[in-house]
Amino acid sequence: MPNAAHPPSTAVLELRGVRVEGRRAPRLDGVTLRVDAGERVALIGPSGAGKSSLLAVANGLLEPTAGTVWWEGCPRARSRQGRRLQQARIGTLWQDLRLIEQLTVQQNLNAACLARWGWPKAVLNLLMPLDTPACRQALRQMDLDPALLEQPVSALSGGQRQRVAMARLLRQEPLLLLADEPLASLDPRLAAELLALLLEQARAPRALVLSLHRPDLLAGFDRVIGLRNGRIAFDQSAEAINAGQLQALYGQAENSQDLNGEGAALP
Amino acid sequence: MRPAPPLLLLLPALVLVPVLLQLPALIHGGGWELIGQFLLAALQPSLDPLVLRSVLTGLGVTTGMALLGWALSLLVGLVLGGASSRVLWRTVTGHEAPACVMRRALAIPRSIHELIWGLLLLQLLGQQPAVAVLAIAIPYGALVARVVSDLLDALPPHSLEALRAGGAPAPAALLTALGPALLPGVVSYGGYRLECALRSATLLGVFGLGGLGNELLLTLQSLQFRELWSSLWLLLAVMLTLEAAIAALRRRWGMPGRFGLRGGQVGRRGRELVLVGLGLVPVLILVAQALAVDPRALLHWQSLPALTANGWGAALALPWPGLILSTLVLTLLAAGLAVGVAPLLLLLVAPWWWGRLLLQLSWAFGRLWPPPLTALLLLFVLKPGVITAALALGFHNLGILGRLLLEGAEATPDASEQALRCSGSGARLALLYGRYSSLARSYLAYGAYRADVILRETVVVGLVAGSGLGAQLRESLSSFAWDQLLLLLVAYAVLTLVGEDLSDRGRRRLLATA
Repeated sequence: MPNAAHPPSTAVLELRGVRVEGRRAPRLDGVTLRVDAGERVALIGPSGAGKSSLLAVANGLLEPTAGTVWWEGCPRARSRQGRRLQQARIGTLWQDLRLIEQLTVQQNLNAACLARWGWPKAVLNLLMPLDTPACRQALRQMDLDPALLEQPVSALSGGQRQRVAMARLLRQEPLLLLADEPLASLDPRLAAELLALLLEQARAPRALVLSLHRPDLLAGFDRVIGLRNGRIAFDQSAEAINAGQLQALYGQAENSQDLNGEGAALP
Repeated sequence: MRPAPPLLLLLPALVLVPVLLQLPALIHGGGWELIGQFLLAALQPSLDPLVLRSVLTGLGVTTGMALLGWALSLLVGLVLGGASSRVLWRTVTGHEAPACVMRRALAIPRSIHELIWGLLLLQLLGQQPAVAVLAIAIPYGALVARVVSDLLDALPPHSLEALRAGGAPAPAALLTALGPALLPGVVSYGGYRLECALRSATLLGVFGLGGLGNELLLTLQSLQFRELWSSLWLLLAVMLTLEAAIAALRRRWGMPGRFGLRGGQVGRRGRELVLVGLGLVPVLILVAQALAVDPRALLHWQSLPALTANGWGAALALPWPGLILSTLVLTLLAAGLAVGVAPLLLLLVAPWWWGRLLLQLSWAFGRLWPPPLTALLLLFVLKPGVITAALALGFHNLGILGRLLLEGAEATPDASEQALRCSGSGARLALLYGRYSSLARSYLAYGAYRADVILRETVVVGLVAGSGLGAQLRESLSSFAWDQLLLLLVAYAVLTLVGEDLSDRGRRRLLATA
């Protein structure tokens, strides 16, 4: 439980005793973790371990039933405006990308600025190209041809879409980068490229939390958090992970689901 | 500068600009108190047993007329739909030409609004319950026929060809190959038509063809607002129940047609459907008896007053360009209001959870409340004219389109909207960018179809608010000027057929680029 008397130090993200109810067993149970600026954290675990729930709590989509979440040292804002400003600092790379198919690449990139823009600019964006230099720059950063700006998103290839989603994420200029299994549906080359891009962007003051289904892409991360049955099984530096831990994390996942974390220990 | 899909959706709302600019000049003093009384009375409807009994009787007549008219139109529509299907004629006779002739011929009953049919039949047959039933069945039957023949001709021909190649006789092959495939579409459309029939029956009542509509009109005219609200609340309950029941049945029956069929289910659902269909027959007979609908009475035609010699000259001398222009302006204004304001309102209330509920309630009233009565209510504070008529017609269609928009919004995935919310954009912009983008084309395509319906419906408000062909129609009807009437009907038919063609093209273009 958070102690209101001690103001928390400014971690980019901090979860304390977070619990999220599920249908049979809690989806998250007693999750406490802290991500500081510059940290790149991989979240691993078998499917159903609670990785997506944890990310949903981290980006404010899901409100925990118990425990608290702090962003940059502040709890969830009460006012609508405060909440929006808070959300604007959290960028999520969704597994299904969630680009707006009917809009052009440029309109999609600019959609990342809607939290800051007022109505007039938001409506103008739907009428004419806005902030073209910044959008071109965002595409170039992702090794994309700036001529793509006028294309509708539906006309892009899979790899291009992935990069446009990344460009949109960066255009939002978030402090906390979250990514839910962004590499799941990519071929190995594309996956490696995207991972490198994400890791490179996550320098202080930014921080990155990325969930992975497979444990073979952990190189480059500072920390690895293993989740199992909604609880943190381990939380340690990437180099210190050993095969036994991974085996314990992934082994017999189907059988032990009802036992609620047999062998899983809080760090 | 090219508006993106979400803005396209709001573009029709631009008609609000001229309407709002004109409005101050239209307002006359006086009636605000009455409007206030009307709104206040909503909270205290009359519970007098005498009032309630007459409301319930009226409601029974209205739903009975709707049910009979609807059932008859389905029957007629299925038969005529088959008769105007190219596939059917080709299979049976080898020629398609008769189908095209039938199609053309059916355009005429379809293009004339049920109210005009009702008023014409009223003149010919005198006041009797069968008039309203027939008035609904004629245009609805032609509409159902068009949909059925379109559905039939769009079905994949493989199974029919296979059966024919196997030597099955034409009727058996058609029934086996096309019947089951046709069913989901017909059930879904039929349900929608029943909702429409209830609205039409209420409207016909307003013009004295029996049922609750008349009650609504009389209580409004005599300013008995509390009695008026007793009718309105009950009618609302019936309408919402009907809509919910139809939606539930559609989910139960309609879905297997759209998604993959699981083994066994079709048969069982088919049996259920047939049972409901059979169960409907005694209900319909009982309703017909209760309403004293007598088909034999339809054979007694009243003689019409003779035409005068100089009648045609007078008919041709009517201010045709002005009449047609004001009808078109009325259509465009009302369509713009209905199509554009629904998404605009949904956007405005997006941040508040209760906003959507409030909209749903007010849209339900829009659907329920016949446009001529809205026009009468507006006339308390506004001068008659095109704008007043457009507001009344727009409000009614807003109710229909708004419900559709909400259904569409709930059926589209919310992933993009959620993503935008999570990156800090407000509820309204997230809805605009995230949801309206994918909704825009199909909604506007439906709006194009609705504009065509609105053109047909202009007659309804024209009769009250004094604008367009409808107003002239009323005069010609009451002065028994049959020559004028005939020309007016031709003008209406031509206008709606041209409008139908235009809206079809618009719809196809919208859906093609989707």
